Amino acid sequence: MEDSINSIYALKTSVGQEKNVARMLARKVKDSGIEINAILIPESLKGYVLVESSSKIDMQNPAIKVPHLRGMVEGKSLITFEEVRRFLKPEPIIASIQKGSIIELISGPFKGEKAKVVRIDESREEVVLELIEAAVPIPVTVKADQIRIIQKEAD
Amino acid sequence: MTIKACTKCNRITNDERCPVCDLPSSTNWSGLLIIIDPDKSDIASELNINIPGEYALRVR
Repeated sequence: MEDSINSIYALKTSVGQEKNVARMLARKVKDSGIEINAILIPESLKGYVLVESSSKIDMQNPAIKVPHLRGMVEGKSLITFEEVRRFLKPEPIIASIQKGSIIELISGPFKGEKAKVVRIDESREEVVLELIEAAVPIPVTVKADQIRIIQKEAD
Repeated sequence: MTIKACTKCNRITNDERCPVCDLPSSTNWSGLLIIIDPDKSDIASELNINIPGEYALRVR
């Protein structure tokens, strides 16, 4: 990795408008010549866009005015590239799930239900669950991105 | 119109197949990366991207 002069800035946006802000910003960059090389929106960082630029971004510049853009995060230390690299290669959700974990379903017909992980199929990114509140335990197979972990390991 | 991402190069497209790789694209993607200048960007060099455009961070 060669030494570079690029810095990464975090811009605050309205939650849910990150993609719109990024697209509008990208269009502005092409028109006005602000120096931005890349715009990154990690899924896990709500309300922020990360901007890679080789020069200091001047928020006073009228060219950077975009709806839903609330300002820049000012701080003493800049965001390092190492920190950003973590967002670039997100580890699969399945790696953080353990057998016996208590999870909540976040989509599908059982949305909002809590369940216990019975089995994990890593190659297909699927988990077999047992709904906690069901009278009769029925195994339900869902994709790993449909669940949210509540408790890592149950006793 | 659904926005899709290529399963190989992660490029975001509206088409059924990626215009670059000619592979089927997927609707199951998350994270967004807009590369404006791939030659100057460290993020682009880290991910071996050399075409400007929109990319997903995770595609399944």
